[in-house]
Amino acid sequence: MSVLEYLANGLVFSSIIVLSSIGLSLVYSIANFANFAHGDTMTVGAYTALVTFGFVGTLGAEVLGLPLGFFLALVVGVAVAAAVAVLTHKIVYEPLDIGSIGLLITSIGVAFVYRAIIQLGFGTGFVEFQIPLLRPIEALLPYGIRMTLHDVAIVGSAAVLVAGLHALLQYTDLGRKMRATADNPSLARVSGIRTDRIEIWTWVIGAGLAGAGGVFLGLYNNISPRMGFNILLVVFAAVILGGIGSVYGAMVGGFLIGMINQLTPILPRLGQEIPFVPESFGIPIGIEYANAIVFLIMVAVLLVRPSGIAGEEAT
Amino acid sequence: MSAVDAARGRFADLTRAEQGVVGFVVLLAALLLFGLVTGGLAPTYFLYLVGLVGMYVLLSFGLNVQWGYTGLINFSVAAFFGIGAYGTALLTADNSPIGADGWQFSLAGVELVWVSGARLYGLLPLTVLGLLVAVALAAVVAVAIGIPTLRLRADYLAIASLGLAEVVRLLFLNQRGVTNGSAGLRGLPGFFDGWPVLGTLPQTLPGVQVHEVAVPGLGSTRLLGFTLGAPFWQALLNVGLVLAMVAVVFAVLRRVHRSPWGRVLRTIRSDEDLAEALGKDTYAFKMQSFVLGSVIMALAGVFYAHLNLFVSPGNLEPINTFYVWIAVILGGSGSNRGAIFGGFVVIAIREGTRFLGEVLPASFPLDLPLVTSTYATVVNNFASTRLLAVGLLIILVMRFRPQGVLPPQRELIWPASVAASAGPGETDPRETVTEDAAAGAPETGSDSDAEPDDPAARNGGEDDE
Repeated sequence: MSVLEYLANGLVFSSIIVLSSIGLSLVYSIANFANFAHGDTMTVGAYTALVTFGFVGTLGAEVLGLPLGFFLALVVGVAVAAAVAVLTHKIVYEPLDIGSIGLLITSIGVAFVYRAIIQLGFGTGFVEFQIPLLRPIEALLPYGIRMTLHDVAIVGSAAVLVAGLHALLQYTDLGRKMRATADNPSLARVSGIRTDRIEIWTWVIGAGLAGAGGVFLGLYNNISPRMGFNILLVVFAAVILGGIGSVYGAMVGGFLIGMINQLTPILPRLGQEIPFVPESFGIPIGIEYANAIVFLIMVAVLLVRPSGIAGEEAT
Repeated sequence: MSAVDAARGRFADLTRAEQGVVGFVVLLAALLLFGLVTGGLAPTYFLYLVGLVGMYVLLSFGLNVQWGYTGLINFSVAAFFGIGAYGTALLTADNSPIGADGWQFSLAGVELVWVSGARLYGLLPLTVLGLLVAVALAAVVAVAIGIPTLRLRADYLAIASLGLAEVVRLLFLNQRGVTNGSAGLRGLPGFFDGWPVLGTLPQTLPGVQVHEVAVPGLGSTRLLGFTLGAPFWQALLNVGLVLAMVAVVFAVLRRVHRSPWGRVLRTIRSDEDLAEALGKDTYAFKMQSFVLGSVIMALAGVFYAHLNLFVSPGNLEPINTFYVWIAVILGGSGSNRGAIFGGFVVIAIREGTRFLGEVLPASFPLDLPLVTSTYATVVNNFASTRLLAVGLLIILVMRFRPQGVLPPQRELIWPASVAASAGPGETDPRETVTEDAAAGAPETGSDSDAEPDDPAARNGGEDDE
């Protein structure tokens, strides 16, 4: 495969990681704990969309190779993921009187409950959206890029969602309050911001984006109860690289981590791809270690610059 | 009669939580005994379960040193367990790519160590070498993981250790030339194979046929009908091994926990800055605690490898880490008695769900439209209730009893000092300690451990600044 094709793949995968890492970062900064249930929130979104799509099916016209019914399923998946997260916040997290580590451990329990319920209903196997596979886009083939319209749909939808979030954060009252709360919860509270409401909105937005990420991940690969948990550490790596608590950092971190993850196959033949480097040069490492590389980058970032790319100085 | 009174007195002496735990243990033992007597539970399988309980107790001890004593939030338990299991399996398994057949170490032409069959010739059984290698490997990896991560903030340490554990798992999964990949290693010998007497003991012990149980005065009934043969003695030997491991580790940890070294660990857990201010090299103490805990986990892995006779990368799955976390936080962080209790509960969840899944009828007895289909799906995927139970248990413990069922109250005090302070006219020292711990009074050194979220609270406080 050509480098361009790996880059294209990386762009698609990055879109998914960006969506999920924004949500994780938002919750980290406002609810103030590392939410280990975030990955399984993605799974919740994916399965909800799967069920919804089963009902509405091939409804409506096709957009980017996807029936309109799929976009309806996406919206339902996002809504249910957000609703489940808010319910969890109300029932589980809010009554807790423990610190951030206690919340972290509790969120692992929440993750297991989500996953167990999904497994009870759907089993542990893999399933897929019943959407026929597309042929790669003809116009891109001469450049050595095999990319389907579905991939374009993923990248496009992610771009729309990210742009929407940017607008929300910068130009709306809610966005201003969210930024204030993330920055300094106590000051926000004494300034008259009802931070508990902001917290609920954070869960809605964060989990909603995670749900969207889960649906796209299901479209990109396939759907299984472990999909969210398997990708959770990659998302954490993106958030840490970008800087915990920074939405824009999460975007950059998600983009970079997704790219690095997908570009791993190039490492053994670096010499052939980069000019001015001997042909034989390469890092002998297989794609099976793509995630391992990402995790090592995460640890390295924590060591060298725990505040990440865009984060403030670590507290 | 007096023995009954004494037992009753001791029972009344316990805290309510302790009474509950005693009740649970008695109930569980009665259930198992019932299963044994009625023949529903094969004795060999029962002993296998006891072995697994012992293994989880060991793992919980290890995590207790790290999280319970020192407050290190380590999510790489499964990795160290796997390193222990693979450490010994790589040396002893039949299909190990780097097996011990024809192994030699020689220095300047002089053969120092050579392997013959299951024994290092003339020196020590191969399984003992496997244990030593596993423990050494775990210690090295613990240092390697500890160097970068132990300086990190608590929640970063959690994420980083989980990530590094995954790196370890991927290595075991993909380095086929060394670890045999996803096929795993099989054909391991039992731990005592090749030992002088114990190695052949199960085969030489006579098979016992149990047919009738005689109750004096009530006559005899035919209750049991099984033969206790070599597999049974083998299983008994395994249980003996794990009990010995648990006893030794328990004794060491009890000593360690109350020692000056253990007190420093507890200080680090409740207030790391204070420990620094007192001139302690907290990083060094954390590292020592991390290595000690990891070595104990590896010990559990070694036992498991020789119990199960098969290891695979599946043993390094993160879910195993969280089973151990359940055992520790449920039992009470920092409490070794609690860790033992937690080990029992984990096995009760793991095996109880398996048992229930087999016992439940395949279809719902009543024909209701939605219920029947839901019931069918749930029963088909019943293994998932295990995950559900684990998840709910974590949430409920954190919500209603974050200090765990058996918080370490008196474990932290030398018995002698308790006896000394209990002068006439004073209240029962135990009561005092309990109340202090509950109220969070700062005078006694013990209560700093009573709340598992101490470092968390401290951390949250920092974040607010």
